[in-house]
Amino acid sequence: MALIPRRDQLPIPPKNARVHNTVCQYCTAGCGYKVYVWPVGQQGGLKADQNAFGVDLSQPQPPLAGLSYTETMHAVTTGKDGRQYHVVIVPAKDSPYNRGNYSIRGGTNALTVWSLDRGTQDRLEYPLLRIGDQFQAITWQDALTLVAGVIKGIRDRDGNDDNITVKAYDHGGSGQGFEDNYGLGKFFFAALSVKHIAIHNRPAYNSEVWGSRERGVHELNYDYTDARLADTVVLWGANPFETATVFYAEHILPNIQGNTVAEKQEAFAKGEPAEPGYLIVVDPRKTSSYTVAETVAKDRVLLLRPNLGTDYILANAIARVVWERGYYDMAYLQARTDMGLFEEYKQKSLKLQVPYAEFMAQVERITGVPRAQIEKAADWIAKPKAGKFKRRTLTIYEKGIIWNMKNYDQVAAIVQLAVLTHNVGRPGTGCGRLGGHQEGYVRPKSPTPGSIYRGGPPVNVDKFLVEGKGKFYWVVATDPYLSTPNSQVFRKRIHERTQKLTRALGQGGEPGTIQERVRKILDVLYSDPDALFMVVQDIYMTETARDAHLILPAAGWGEANETSINCQGRLLRLYEKFMDPPGEAKPDWEIFKLVGLRLADLYRAEGKAQEAAKFEFGKNWKTDEDVFLAGAEEFKDNRVSEEDEATLEAENYKGVTYKFLKEVGQQGIRTPVRRDPKTGKLVGTVRRYTHKFGTPDGKFKWYGSDDWEGYPAEVAKYLEGEKAKQYPFWVTTGRAQTIWQTAYHDRHLPVKAAALPLPYVEIHPEDAKRLGLQSGDLVEVYNEEGNGTFMVYVTDAVKPGLIFLVMYHWRGTSNSLTSGYTDPKTTIPWYKGTRANLRKLAGSIPSVQQTASLLQQNKFD
Amino acid sequence: MTQTLSRRRFVKLTAAATALFTAGGKAQLGYAPSLTYPAVKVANVSQVKTGQPVTFSYPDASSPAILVKLGKPAVGGVGPGRDIVAYSALCTHMGCPVQYEGGRFICRCHYSMFDPAKAGQTYQGLASSWLPQIPLRVDGKGDIYAVAVAGLIWGRVKNV
Repeated sequence: MALIPRRDQLPIPPKNARVHNTVCQYCTAGCGYKVYVWPVGQQGGLKADQNAFGVDLSQPQPPLAGLSYTETMHAVTTGKDGRQYHVVIVPAKDSPYNRGNYSIRGGTNALTVWSLDRGTQDRLEYPLLRIGDQFQAITWQDALTLVAGVIKGIRDRDGNDDNITVKAYDHGGSGQGFEDNYGLGKFFFAALSVKHIAIHNRPAYNSEVWGSRERGVHELNYDYTDARLADTVVLWGANPFETATVFYAEHILPNIQGNTVAEKQEAFAKGEPAEPGYLIVVDPRKTSSYTVAETVAKDRVLLLRPNLGTDYILANAIARVVWERGYYDMAYLQARTDMGLFEEYKQKSLKLQVPYAEFMAQVERITGVPRAQIEKAADWIAKPKAGKFKRRTLTIYEKGIIWNMKNYDQVAAIVQLAVLTHNVGRPGTGCGRLGGHQEGYVRPKSPTPGSIYRGGPPVNVDKFLVEGKGKFYWVVATDPYLSTPNSQVFRKRIHERTQKLTRALGQGGEPGTIQERVRKILDVLYSDPDALFMVVQDIYMTETARDAHLILPAAGWGEANETSINCQGRLLRLYEKFMDPPGEAKPDWEIFKLVGLRLADLYRAEGKAQEAAKFEFGKNWKTDEDVFLAGAEEFKDNRVSEEDEATLEAENYKGVTYKFLKEVGQQGIRTPVRRDPKTGKLVGTVRRYTHKFGTPDGKFKWYGSDDWEGYPAEVAKYLEGEKAKQYPFWVTTGRAQTIWQTAYHDRHLPVKAAALPLPYVEIHPEDAKRLGLQSGDLVEVYNEEGNGTFMVYVTDAVKPGLIFLVMYHWRGTSNSLTSGYTDPKTTIPWYKGTRANLRKLAGSIPSVQQTASLLQQNKFD
Repeated sequence: MTQTLSRRRFVKLTAAATALFTAGGKAQLGYAPSLTYPAVKVANVSQVKTGQPVTFSYPDASSPAILVKLGKPAVGGVGPGRDIVAYSALCTHMGCPVQYEGGRFICRCHYSMFDPAKAGQTYQGLASSWLPQIPLRVDGKGDIYAVAVAGLIWGRVKNV
């Protein structure tokens, strides 16, 4: 029984256990956690003064108010001293964000620590060198010599860094904070001058929200408290019940339930109506974020389900209704926005030259959303309240928008609707990303200035590599074999290219020394231009790492001090180191420092002192904090007034130290941090753009949207002739509560892997009936880009004719089927739309059906 | 071993468990069941109707539990259809009561949902630990006994 190992008692941290503050390693929410570490063999007592919790454990805890310490919150790890330690990680009650609440993902933080009695023992412990089709252990000394030698050899031959290609994270959380990002940035952008770099999951180095930033609005402008104060919350292509769960459960849902009315009364103007909140969900799926709210307040929820790719048309249509009904404040628009550009917006986005009825008929035809729903949404977003008070609407968008087709136009349309209705910069308003991971971006100047309107678009590095260009590919803390779009084509080509080098190295016997290996690698790279040398730096053996020539083991969350911000208030906190990394794994910043120093040695040996100096950026970095403080130098002077906060970078933390962060603990400080010009004290920024927008003149810059032009060629090919019949389903993709942001660990954790043993496809009951499919059946989903095996979930979350694939599962990624299309303005892919067919597999895998739940995930009534 | 739990024996057992509970000492790292549980009669197979939950307390009076006949085979299910299962009725997320409705357990505090046929796994929602399953045993007369708890009951560091 039980399917997975269960516990019925847990160890109690003794009074002398080490106690650390940290923040969850996973999603955008960034819930606070407390960590307790003590040697195995000791245990605390039940009385409050006998344990480190300071809680009376002799009686069961009271619901909600009590301490949550569950089976998934304990592990045993091994320290560098060879001793075993208990590690207990529980949600922090003193975090103002989660207040003791936690999610299915953060609740397993303890299970993810390196432990010798579970799957996480598979962490990488020392560098691995490929010899033929095997990996063998090598030392850091040899690994550094190899990496530095190949890089220098390429630079010597080429005279530039154009053949050095990179795919790297750019963010916080997941063990990568400001420190690691800065180390990476210094190496690739300041020491090297790499221009073929792609960020995180995607094919290029870009922002996903240039459509907002180039208007003067950074995407992280609201605070989590705004979700408690809003009259209306709009979730646009965002499903926070599953992807920012505590934000939804602790802040959005209480508003919809009417439990925050007293807070509204306190925050609002005198006489302003304060009522339970409304919720609008815009999504092709009936998501759980909608159905949970529908269960508690069905008269105050609205679901708009646009056809794939048409959201910007819908956003502009809502804005048109706002215009027609006069739900805007002209004095605000004139004072705060660029009225010259506003004319362009009126013409191209609102299309005021087209009669209203004709315009709305066009929109209905394109989006599939009825006019009445569009008008209702406009009322809920912007219709003034009784007493002519402006409505307060918080609009939160995420992957349904940024990973939609026409990324730039989608994002721009939504932020413009928010500014048109003055729903930015006031309590209860804002327009920004929900976010995926946390953020920790600090880098020297990057090679990509902006969209096509600002010196872009950035280079598509995936295509560069697939076309056979580049000689060195360094993949850092991301797994493009799963995460890049059109990934089946990508991984086949990278495999082919890396194999060419592997085979050539083995001809005539493997090189006997590292120096000989460097020479031979360079010989092959310059005799066979298709050969590719690949280095993967990660915490596990990833799908991509299996094709690497060298694997570098990185430290993870809790194994070094780090700092990041969350996305609902830019809350900066210190994520304290609470245990040692496994084996010889090192923080990423230290790896880049060491590679840099080795390159410096090579240049110095040739008498090239000036070149050597560029690579010594990390010579004074002794601790994590040294890197944090060095990174701060990249930010602008933050001695500015509150009115000028808009001039600062969203992450600006100049003046903050680890000591300060230890003192503020879970309270943290919200970036951008200002040093008050009068007092010199550090002051956080709760919400942005109350006084000015982030442009040189402080005014919002309007943009005129493109017309509807249909679907891009990569997808339009499936809509005509025979192919329309061969690939009859629209496909969208997305995340699932259980494995969101966590699958790299979860594949090692029975509590997760048993629940989702295979990726799944959602299919509407009508389609399932027609095709003879039931939940639990296995199908192959396929198109001309790729294929995968998925388990069937029959659900009304999708409409007939639309299927949904869960993303990034280790047994098959939906990105095998996505096209290579990117927005020509930003090089951001359309991860969320293509066409495909499916075919039922003969037979079944009974063990999968036995462990996976087939119950409907969006049904709460 | 299987026996009906009299009130007096229940009190004795609880007292013994409390003594163990407060003893402190080395942490036990074994898997459930690692403790001594009472055997408590919950119902008779002939009385349990599909979809109609039976509430009871186990392993002590402050631990609500629910027994249910699902009408289809379940992991750990007993009875002729292998479909009778029992679980702790405290949500493993933050300790609110779960209800058996529509073929699943649901917690109305934050909307975690657990699958009674799949070992109490969280198939949606916030709870990172699955619902603790209560292993059942059926005797020759069809009496169903709760005999242990596989999983930690919310709010405790030790089930008994």
